[in-house]
Amino acid sequence: MTAKTEVFTEHVDVLIAGSGAAGMRAAIAAHDAGAKVVLLAKGPRRANHTRMSGGRYNAVSGFNPADSTDAFFRDTVDSGVGINNYPLTRILADEAMDRAYDLESYGLAWDRTEIKKYYMSMTGGGTFVRTLGSIDEGIGITEVMLHQLHKRGIRICDFHMLADVVQDDSGRVTGGLALDLSKGAWRYFSAGAVVIATGGTSQLYETSSGPAINTGDGIAIALRAGAELVDIEFMQFIPISFVYPPSARGYTLIEPAHYGMRHFDPKAEPAHLLNTKGERFVLKHDPVRREGSTRDILARAIMLEILEGRGTPEGGVLMHPDPQVFDAFLKERPIYIKRLLENYGEGHARLQEPIQVTPSALYTLGGVRIDPWCRCNVPGLLVSGEAAGGVHGANRLGGSSMPDIQVFGRRAGIAAAEDAREYAGGGAAQLDKARARAAALEACMQRNDGVRPPDIKKRIQKLMWDHVGLVRSGAKLTETLAAFRSLREHVLPTVKVTNKSRVLNREWMEFLELENLLDIGEAMAASSLQRPETRGAHYRTDFPALDSNWTANLIVRRHAGQLQVEKKAVVTLEKAVPAREKIAGAIA
Amino acid sequence: MPTDIKMRAEIRRYDPSVDAEPHYETFEVAGQDNWRVLDVIRSIYERQAGDLAYQFACRVGRCGTCAVKVNGVPVLACQERCKPEMKIEPLTPFPVLRDLVVDRSEIEARYEQHAYAPQRKTEYAGGPEPIDPLLAEDLCHKGSCLACMVCVSGCPAVEERAFDGPAFMLKLRHMAEHPADSGNRLEQAIDAGMLECFGCDLCTQLCPADLSPAQAIRDFRRDMIFGGSKKHE
Repeated sequence: MTAKTEVFTEHVDVLIAGSGAAGMRAAIAAHDAGAKVVLLAKGPRRANHTRMSGGRYNAVSGFNPADSTDAFFRDTVDSGVGINNYPLTRILADEAMDRAYDLESYGLAWDRTEIKKYYMSMTGGGTFVRTLGSIDEGIGITEVMLHQLHKRGIRICDFHMLADVVQDDSGRVTGGLALDLSKGAWRYFSAGAVVIATGGTSQLYETSSGPAINTGDGIAIALRAGAELVDIEFMQFIPISFVYPPSARGYTLIEPAHYGMRHFDPKAEPAHLLNTKGERFVLKHDPVRREGSTRDILARAIMLEILEGRGTPEGGVLMHPDPQVFDAFLKERPIYIKRLLENYGEGHARLQEPIQVTPSALYTLGGVRIDPWCRCNVPGLLVSGEAAGGVHGANRLGGSSMPDIQVFGRRAGIAAAEDAREYAGGGAAQLDKARARAAALEACMQRNDGVRPPDIKKRIQKLMWDHVGLVRSGAKLTETLAAFRSLREHVLPTVKVTNKSRVLNREWMEFLELENLLDIGEAMAASSLQRPETRGAHYRTDFPALDSNWTANLIVRRHAGQLQVEKKAVVTLEKAVPAREKIAGAIA
Repeated sequence: MPTDIKMRAEIRRYDPSVDAEPHYETFEVAGQDNWRVLDVIRSIYERQAGDLAYQFACRVGRCGTCAVKVNGVPVLACQERCKPEMKIEPLTPFPVLRDLVVDRSEIEARYEQHAYAPQRKTEYAGGPEPIDPLLAEDLCHKGSCLACMVCVSGCPAVEERAFDGPAFMLKLRHMAEHPADSGNRLEQAIDAGMLECFGCDLCTQLCPADLSPAQAIRDFRRDMIFGGSKKHE
């Protein structure tokens, strides 16, 4: 088959994988820095995680005089339990507001209380009122950005899944191999720089909030290319999500803080969470902040109630909202009220009846280890957004992913344009490597016996949910690693694709996803096993306390097919190694 | 509590690269009455037809990419409740890539051509940009259009005449009302066939995001008669 595998090839300056805000912001920045950009969307361009977000945006706007970028930085490091990459967190706090203005310049209308005054609210964990928002949420953010790409004539390739990056003998990335799912055709984009902005890995879990295409592709591709991952053991679970119907299960309902007066005042009551015995169980875990606590603590508290048999038959607990907030909630978040009405009923939508909720996999806190300009240890490869790690540490504040993907999306685009300018290689020199990889990914199409990809995906999702999710233990993590090895060695080589069409072959796409899911699942389980403590989103039943010796990061890399996990000191502001800052002068 | 039900789904199958004609295939599905059409389609893919081509991503009515026709009516598969008898077809009048998935190339070209980014006379001067809070709210409602093409698919004027369709009018109106935009959006709307609209309001009734493209068209028509929107006077 190898000889027959046809690969179309073309050259671009900057290839960007991912059509969410991190990818689009990188595209805008790289284009504005003079680069010829192509952006790959795995599905239709509007299928991305940003679009699903509530769009809350933490930034220091100046409208709360008590707040400051120092306070935002401190809140983020406190929430991240001290293992954030401090320089990245500092950049987030310092640049978030400028990027919020960028969005306004693109046409987004932030909610206002006066003509020149933004409306602000709070999310769980933060200590100051600082969160901006807009009624059109992630939809509005992605639409205004998309129109900016259109305005610049940036080419977007829908249904193009990045399969792998291609490297020269020195390890320098020379481009990306993509499968055009709409035709079943391979394309090799030779590029001066590749930006991975493919989002997170929420599809590793049975119950998840993200889009079905977030299978950690880019993180796995980077790992295979030799990149280091950081904090990959930390997966953020949103504490409350829909329990039914099946299609909506896991879709975020955000935080209990928003369903009570805590939404407006750090001292006021959040909505109460009760188990089936009527107990307000969160008080056992965080008597001070109660249901206004951080997402990690709330999600774990709910999960433990469910696991210990005090949950509803459908696998949830009951949230008792405060009907007083209904008018404000309806005005601010009409989309959520509509979903509550459709999925649950009118009493629930009016916040008059208890709402059944369950935790759900939301956000991949770890990811590829990057410097302040989103470069990683693989030359020519840049990573931004949810696929990158370090900004949020062991837990993320609600409202901080939106500024993250804007701030670092832009930085990735600027740096990628620079890397592309400096790159002397290029052309189709690595086409043979691309062709060989494409041929290998066709093998499953020829097999007639074996297991279908969706069946294996479900096995991985169950293992991750049960053992590498909210509640972990050394024994179960070891067991899971063995199960993953067995899947990789015995099951993956026997995957069959029953669909013989090359056009929009979902089984084939899922086959490509399987390797990515396994690569990241394994990295998550291995690093979880190596962290003998409980911190942020990582909870070990055999090590239930925080251990100050573990105020450190775990780095995961792959060497000769084996995962290596290494403990490293946290990068604080003092210890930060200056990144290549020569582009600093070029920043508009 | 949801109850178990049996459903019959007739799905239009077509691979333009191979098939001369589309054909319909019928599937019996055991599910529950609170299932959405998407749950039915996913169940068919997982248990009966691994070669079914269908599209979805967010499953909660946000990405707007799962729109199909159910018993002739354009809907989002993830939001539409299942029915005992369903005929599921790709969204018309768009070219089909395969089975239930349409090719959106022309749709995206239209979005690009309409230039929906604010056309600023002067550079953005930093925020907050002066926008009345109520206007900001209204802009955001128009900003939450999913671009799902449900209204375009259901529009009788699109079917018969040269009209881009309601969704495009709504987004033009969005820009017409944006204080920073200096484009002549009314002229664009007329060029895109706005006057062909019958005023039937079907787009508003079909919109999964509860928006009213019909109202956007009425507002443009009012401007046309009374001399344009305020900011262009």
